[in-house]
Amino acid sequence: MQTQTTDAKIIGVVYKKTLGHYDVHHGDKITPCALSSKLWKDFKPSKDSGKTHEHRQNVTEKHMDPVAIGDRVRFTLAGDGSGMIWNVLPRRNYLARASAKPMPGAHAFEQIIAANLDQVIPVFAAADPEPKWHLLDRYLVTAEYYNLPSLIIITKTDLVRGSRSEKELSTAVQRYRTIGYPVILTSALENKVIFATREALAGRTSVLMGKSGVGKSTLLNALEPGLGVRVQAVNQTTGKGRHTTTHLEMFQLASGGGLIGTPGVREFGLWEVSPKDIAYCYPEMQPYIGQCKFGMSCQHNDEPGCAIRQVVMDGKISPYRYQSYLRLKADL
Amino acid sequence: MRTYFENKNVDFTCKHCGRIVPAQTAESGVVNRNHCPTCLHSRHVDLFTPGDWLCACKAIMVPVGLTLKRCRDKYAAECQGELMLIHRCMNCGALSINRIAADDDTSQILNVFKVGSKWNTQLEIIYQQMRIIPLDKSDIHLVETQLYGRTSCCR
Repeated sequence: MQTQTTDAKIIGVVYKKTLGHYDVHHGDKITPCALSSKLWKDFKPSKDSGKTHEHRQNVTEKHMDPVAIGDRVRFTLAGDGSGMIWNVLPRRNYLARASAKPMPGAHAFEQIIAANLDQVIPVFAAADPEPKWHLLDRYLVTAEYYNLPSLIIITKTDLVRGSRSEKELSTAVQRYRTIGYPVILTSALENKVIFATREALAGRTSVLMGKSGVGKSTLLNALEPGLGVRVQAVNQTTGKGRHTTTHLEMFQLASGGGLIGTPGVREFGLWEVSPKDIAYCYPEMQPYIGQCKFGMSCQHNDEPGCAIRQVVMDGKISPYRYQSYLRLKADL
Repeated sequence: MRTYFENKNVDFTCKHCGRIVPAQTAESGVVNRNHCPTCLHSRHVDLFTPGDWLCACKAIMVPVGLTLKRCRDKYAAECQGELMLIHRCMNCGALSINRIAADDDTSQILNVFKVGSKWNTQLEIIYQQMRIIPLDKSDIHLVETQLYGRTSCCR
């Protein structure tokens, strides 16, 4: 069937994407769109003559996507109600990670999670699955690198109430609050906290990030009743999530703004961040960078006269955060 | 609850004597190898618990003396606890008490005992603050028994 297209290009925002299909919001309408071949052509990096590099590019192109959730795009309408995306308008900001490697021996590539954001919300569960603070630091470092403010949400707090884990949790929460990160402790059962979370999200575009099973979709349902996002309990045998959410989608909030739900991530690699940049992504370390005996060349590891190591010993920086910094730097 | 902990019990090079130290439990008999078996020097890397690697000091720790671990058996004699090494950080002065590994140089341990029994007043104050009872010259028989066994001592 031949469809008619109009030449007038409309500007909309990408709210949902599944493989090759994009839902674009414009006004009150939602248009399912596909990508134009022109956009793909413009997006393709120039090919190198090297065989290995060519193979690498082929793999990369197969998995990369020129359009991210939150992108403002220019598209045309076809007669059947669908659309064709032609351009992506310049991004205000974006959040990216190094992708999981598509096959053994392959190279990781840039995966843009969302664009035009106001804040990043790392979500962790107090238990089931237990929180990994190093992963939280990875999220925070990425957010700092892209100049995005973070709001930490800890869910399922009812599961640790009265247990030994509650004390450990409050110590960890205090650690992040001292640095200046806002932390909300919540459970889907507590209405008061849900109201507070709603206030923190109002009028902003936020992205939820976290492992599978931490309660990102449950939080979405609690914040916006009626969304009906599919949720499942964690696997009782493995204690891990079941990867219920499989696509990225932005939901409009009644209080204004949008909230992007993401699938759970097993690993979160840093993209573009060089080992030298990492210290700048730890806000508590920033005032001491350059004050070491070896100045900007200091690796803050074994060097004598390191100002950062000294403040860690003085108790101004948490030793856990310092270790996380070293580990992150070693992983790059 | 899991924190930042990861297993770091891997082979390392001694910062003091430069020897490569194998950290396998089968060889050393201890879970956390924390000092060189040859020169007995250690590194200040643990903060709260053995093997947590949370300390940012990372300076060399010198063996300064020996002490006994409090025995678990409440009916045993006081002197029957395990022999332990006392390490002192050269940078911040922190003390730590560590298990002697199976392959530690016994003559070096005896040497530490002889030098360590002449501790200074400053160290004595720290011992009192930390409630550490270091072994002194009068405990030589006990140390030898712990290191070489009862029969070899009686010879």
